[in-house]
Amino acid sequence: MSVLSIKDLSLEFRTFDGVYKAIDRVSIELAQGEALGIVGETGCGKSVLTRAAFGLVPTPPARITGGTVSFLDRDILGLPQNELRAMRGRDVAMIFQDPMTFINPVFKIGTQLIDSIRAQRHVGRREAREIALDMLDKVQLPNPARQMDSYPHQLSGGMRQRILIAMALAAEPKLLIADEPTTALDVTIQAQILDLIAALVEDMGISLIMISHDLGVVAQVCDRIAVMYAGQIVEDAPVSRIFDHPAHPYTKGLLAAVPHPFSPADTLSGIAGALPNLYEPPQGCRFAARCAHASAQCRAADIGFRHIASGHAVACTLFEDEAAHV
Amino acid sequence: MSEAMLTLQDLEVHFPTKGGVVRAVDGVSLSLRQGEILGLVGESGSGKSTVGKAALRLIDPTGGQVLIDGTDITTARLRDLKPVRTKAQLIFQDPHSSMNPRMTIKRIVGEPLIIHTAIRGAELDQTVARLLERVGLPAQFLHRFPHELSGGQKQRVAIARALAVDPDLLILDEPTSALDVSVQAQILEFLKELHAERPRMTSLFISHNLAVVRFLCHRVAVMYLGKIVEEGPVAQVFSNPQHPYTKALLSAVPLPEATRGAGRIQLEGDLPSPVDRAQGCAFHPRCPVARKGLCDTKAPPRVDTGETWARCHLIGETP
Repeated sequence: MSVLSIKDLSLEFRTFDGVYKAIDRVSIELAQGEALGIVGETGCGKSVLTRAAFGLVPTPPARITGGTVSFLDRDILGLPQNELRAMRGRDVAMIFQDPMTFINPVFKIGTQLIDSIRAQRHVGRREAREIALDMLDKVQLPNPARQMDSYPHQLSGGMRQRILIAMALAAEPKLLIADEPTTALDVTIQAQILDLIAALVEDMGISLIMISHDLGVVAQVCDRIAVMYAGQIVEDAPVSRIFDHPAHPYTKGLLAAVPHPFSPADTLSGIAGALPNLYEPPQGCRFAARCAHASAQCRAADIGFRHIASGHAVACTLFEDEAAHV
Repeated sequence: MSEAMLTLQDLEVHFPTKGGVVRAVDGVSLSLRQGEILGLVGESGSGKSTVGKAALRLIDPTGGQVLIDGTDITTARLRDLKPVRTKAQLIFQDPHSSMNPRMTIKRIVGEPLIIHTAIRGAELDQTVARLLERVGLPAQFLHRFPHELSGGQKQRVAIARALAVDPDLLILDEPTSALDVSVQAQILEFLKELHAERPRMTSLFISHNLAVVRFLCHRVAVMYLGKIVEEGPVAQVFSNPQHPYTKALLSAVPLPEATRGAGRIQLEGDLPSPVDRAQGCAFHPRCPVARKGLCDTKAPPRVDTGETWARCHLIGETP
């Protein structure tokens, strides 16, 4: 069963400089219990995509110019804000890079947890407290009863992120969206949080979308990776295919740019050039200007997806559809 | 062996706070030979950035000595430090906040030349243009302002500014942490090139990113709560780490490959505050192999293990 189905979603921002085409005909299918990673560099649209799907991008300045978003078999694009608000938190939960932005500094952790639980479920204060304690235990926060009485500033970054995860999962959502959840954390804490997220979504049967700029982070948790470039998905494949058989030149470029701690390369290759101007995006493949393999065909028209292996799609003219996988 | 470009001798930086004395840097000794790149790694709060700042006396050390190219700068008067600044330059993580937003790139890169040299006029312009070219930026950037540049371009400007006074020592504090990987790769390649063409150039590379250190550095020192716990050539430390903290740190790095955290050593808890540092080995409360009655009472000795050394009671014992 499909939990989230985004089809050909396009979004633009009206700015003083013109119309910025941030997302261009992006499609994503997420099955029940699946963990999808969305990877890309700054400005590729990876965060805007999921936020727009759930009505979290203010319109205006943004405008959705096409496509559909279906969540739990319901068309949610254009739903009124009050219905979306009821859905967010209950059916879909989100966690972000900086937990402090989402926790109120002047209220105790317990109060905030209980309030958020009661906003989503029809339970009394006492029962909500039980759920909160149970969730804090699930996210392996030491001494949950005492943490309920602490203020956010008394906790470390890793503990705050655990609180946010507890808050997000307390309503037992169907989908968790984690947007760079470990980027602000140290590497040993990052490892703890990634393991925690992976274990919880699996235990609770929650589908996951993890957004990150770090291929290594996504590989720890996800089953599938979608690589975004300049507002489009250029490759979508199982984790093992992305790392062992990357197809798109941009994916290959990203992989060649990441230093490996144990099998170091003599050289790293950056990707020369810069992102295309999304006020006037180029015809055809948006990566063509930086691509060593680009031909006239790449710049002529839109590049559709080629299905080159089971579950592996790539938008690049270097590949042909493999009949068996279409 | 060529002589040391930077020597830290029992460097101490203690900050008095209301909660007690924070021993941010607590007896760090390091020596960087000419031409060497040493990576200083650790998590937030380990004191690695404070070491970098104290090495240039941007923060005054409370104890120990700093020698740059043989000159003790620990007790020098500020005015005597001016010539030292042409020898050693610092590059920060966020290039944007280290640039005056109202200056053009030309002024930003030219400023150290105006302060430290007699170069003026047309010659100054040429020198600045040459510096920009060296870091891979076209001449039209001369008249732009910092906000018109991308993060990677700004970091290149910061490097050009540092190179303006022709330093022998660079202290790089997380210079690529704010950049995308494809841009990070370009900057790392550039730094490698720079070292290849200037044999005297010596760098202290401060980072939390172990993979980057493995790529760029010759040696690595691992810090935990103000002390170096392990040091050695990168190849040895990465392939055969001795200290339990180094082992855990290396195993926590999310690998860019399709194998999931197999064999990861999970550390309990967070980095403790440096105010209430544990007795004995500072790492023992999080250490998976700590031994009661030893690690929690006695400070660990420095144990040499061939080319590397580490500070741990349990080295040499079979686990």
